[in-house]
Amino acid sequence: MNEWPAALQEIIEDFRDCFDRMERYELLFEYAKRMPYPLPIEDWTEENRVQGCQSEAHVECVIDDDDRFHIHGAADAQLVQGLMAVLAIGVDGLSPNEVAQLTPKFVDEMDVKASLTPSRANGFLNLFEMIRAEAEKHAK
Amino acid sequence: MALDLDSIRADFPILSRRLEGERQLVYLDNAATTQKPQVVIDAMNDYYANTNANVHRAVHTLAGEATEGYEASRTGIASYFGAPRDNLIFTSGTTEAINLVAYGWARANLGKGDVVLTTEMEHHADIVPWQILSKECGIEIRYVPLNRETMTLDMEAFEIAVEDASLVCVVHTSNVLGVRNDVERIIKLSKLHGRNGKGAHVMLDAAQAAPHERICFPELGCDFLALSAHKMGGPTGIGALFTTTEIMETMKPFISGGDMIETVTLEGSTYQKGPHKFEAGTPRIAEAFGWHAAVQWLDQYNMKEVHAHVSNLARWTAEQMENIPGIHIYGRHDLETTSGVVSFLHENIHAEDLAHLMDAGGFAVRTGHHCAQPLMEALGVSSTARASFWIYNTKEEAEAFVNHLRGVVDRFS
Ligand SMILES: Cc1ncc(COP(=O)(O)O)c(C=O)c1O
Repeated sequence: MNEWPAALQEIIEDFRDCFDRMERYELLFEYAKRMPYPLPIEDWTEENRVQGCQSEAHVECVIDDDDRFHIHGAADAQLVQGLMAVLAIGVDGLSPNEVAQLTPKFVDEMDVKASLTPSRANGFLNLFEMIRAEAEKHAK
Repeated sequence: MALDLDSIRADFPILSRRLEGERQLVYLDNAATTQKPQVVIDAMNDYYANTNANVHRAVHTLAGEATEGYEASRTGIASYFGAPRDNLIFTSGTTEAINLVAYGWARANLGKGDVVLTTEMEHHADIVPWQILSKECGIEIRYVPLNRETMTLDMEAFEIAVEDASLVCVVHTSNVLGVRNDVERIIKLSKLHGRNGKGAHVMLDAAQAAPHERICFPELGCDFLALSAHKMGGPTGIGALFTTTEIMETMKPFISGGDMIETVTLEGSTYQKGPHKFEAGTPRIAEAFGWHAAVQWLDQYNMKEVHAHVSNLARWTAEQMENIPGIHIYGRHDLETTSGVVSFLHENIHAEDLAHLMDAGGFAVRTGHHCAQPLMEALGVSSTARASFWIYNTKEEAEAFVNHLRGVVDRFS
């Protein structure tokens, strides 16, 4: 089994406790509301757009003065924004190095990947890859 | 006589499939593609297991049987559409059929000064080829608008626009709204007033019509009829363009190679006559067998009854959905002619989320722009969710769908 950052591990367990797919979706909707740094719609640009999502999703990574990683983002579909929030909360405040080393396998452990269509799952992978690449750029 | 739904359902093996958590599949994405009855699957399997050979070429037994079966499929499918066999050109589907009209007929017969009249309601398959051709040979494209009040074509605008049109290309039945256009009137007006009174050619996109009504190509009186097998119980990968022998003679092949030629020398080639001229390369043999089996299967039923069944399901569903808070329906379900399509949105649940939440209950519905972005724009939305019914769907399924949707809206809005 993989070792995940503590905050992410906690979320994964939240999802594992769900009874069925509807409950996992409900939880994703909940997470969508907890996006730590929502990206206001005025700031949605072509540059921060996530490719491969059926719906619109935008994400930006910010590294603060203490070299801590933060994800700003938003999506018009709640399930996409929920996945984004899980990631944003799960890695918030880690160093770019730590974020760069993550794998997207945590969604399997959340047991939501099975409930996502290929296009959505691809959208998520693109989102994940965008964030990881950004972290890698700033990794030391 | 009511349709015997139990016996119809028993013909479709996929309908007994269980999804995650032993949930029963409720397939409501029929406008994208329908499921296939066992006879279609068997026809294709049997062809590969016992007959497979290339057609029109060799003299051996299998080649003879394959050629005979392939050409018998052409005859059988054409006759289902009331047409002689030499009016049927096999294509990969509606998309290729429309492209064949564009590149085979329009490119050879239209040019600067010609207007292709189409509508805001079209599938991209009936928009993009014209846009490309217009860049290439200077034809002008005009669009008949949707009447946003009635959700039908603005026929007043059509009547005016048709006068300048050399070619009229219209979707018979909309894949988004389920609305059936008055194609009889469209053809009549095009012939009477089109091309400044000389009469325009007419192409109908019948992809969504063939699963709903018995279409008789000669009776309709259009010049081109485009269809896909996979939306009427047949396999993917095959469809047809129906057109007359006289028109075929004015068309140039746009895909060329083997099977479509008479003779080839290094100096030049002469072409086959009739449909074969447009069917270059090894054709879709198993698919033709499969489609033939599909029309034979459908032929057991009275399409008026099929339409009434499917359209009633959609109407009932749309009416129930109107009572779910926040749901908006797009289309006209009060009209008898409307097909089995119900497009909808919720005020604050994104269409894509809706589709996932419905899928979690076992309901296969589609979301997106349905390859009809200009129509989405006319409706003022970027996508819709769409439930679409066919012959095997039941009232119980429609009820379960409405109940699950009500639950989703309660829980997630
Ligand atoms: C109205 C309409 N036209 C054209 C098409 C394209 O058909 P195909 O993809 O089979 O070529 C479709 C299929 O979605 C359709 O609904």
